[in-house]
Amino acid sequence: MAKAFKYGLKGITGFLEPAERDLLRSLINDVISMLQPEDRTGQDPLAALIGLDMDVAEPTDRAVKRLLPNVVKNDGEASLEFRQLTERSLRETKIGALRAAALDLDKDEIVLTADGAKHWSMALNDVRLVLAERLDIRDEADAEHVHRMQDWSQAEDVESYLALVYNFTTWLQESLVQAMLQSMESRR
Amino acid sequence: MTISVAPGPDTQEGVRTGTAESTDSLTAPDIPWNLVIWNDPVNLMSYVSYVFQSYFGYSETKANKLMMEVHKKGRSIVASGSKEQVERHAVAMHGFGLWATVEKASGGPGGKSGKSGGPGQGKGKRG
Repeated sequence: MAKAFKYGLKGITGFLEPAERDLLRSLINDVISMLQPEDRTGQDPLAALIGLDMDVAEPTDRAVKRLLPNVVKNDGEASLEFRQLTERSLRETKIGALRAAALDLDKDEIVLTADGAKHWSMALNDVRLVLAERLDIRDEADAEHVHRMQDWSQAEDVESYLALVYNFTTWLQESLVQAMLQSMESRR
Repeated sequence: MTISVAPGPDTQEGVRTGTAESTDSLTAPDIPWNLVIWNDPVNLMSYVSYVFQSYFGYSETKANKLMMEVHKKGRSIVASGSKEQVERHAVAMHGFGLWATVEKASGGPGGKSGKSGGPGQGKGKRG
């Protein structure tokens, strides 16, 4: 069984079983593959170098769109313009945090620096956002419904399995964030 | 919806950053913009508060107050400043996975509404 993250003398530590680490690794890799920008041949190399992407479009996949949302409400045009300037580097930031978290999964015991913890919290959050889209969590009532699913022996279909996975990542992120808040508190 | 509660740390700075009359001539740098965070059923309350504390440097009290406002009212203005500043914040918030948008402060000084960024057909692209 995983142990909740906690803040102590060594910093922020957590413990995951091999099966849990495999699960997280595959979830993280899924999100990375959703965020990986397509390699477009013929793209202006200078534009690519400075992170501009004139061919970018609003994502059609709802989960991707939740990860890379429009920046101006009800203004697709202004949002698209903003995407051209920022989306590539946003994707890279997210992928960077996800990769950093995946690297920490090589050992049973996870010991995190402040930066490491930040990357983990971002990575877990993105994983949860994607799972939530797949589970169709639209409002607090949906979230509550999913949250009630706690017993692994009830996992009889993909949906209930996903719900359990979602609840596991929620629990893990909550314990991590509590440890991070404690660590911030102690530095004040 | 609600009006600003929380002038962010940068509120007063609008004037310098806008590199004079650059391309964005319609968006004078002293017209304030707001960074809005929207409620969603996924982000943990603790995480949202952590982001407000660590990124904006807000006190725990202020961060929690804004977080509760997002949670209860559906949205909250968590920072304001020049367009460039709030856009930078928005990208950072998206990096954290928070649902952030930018909007022109209503009723701000000199509330000229020349829509920046394009001819503004005003059609929101999705319902």
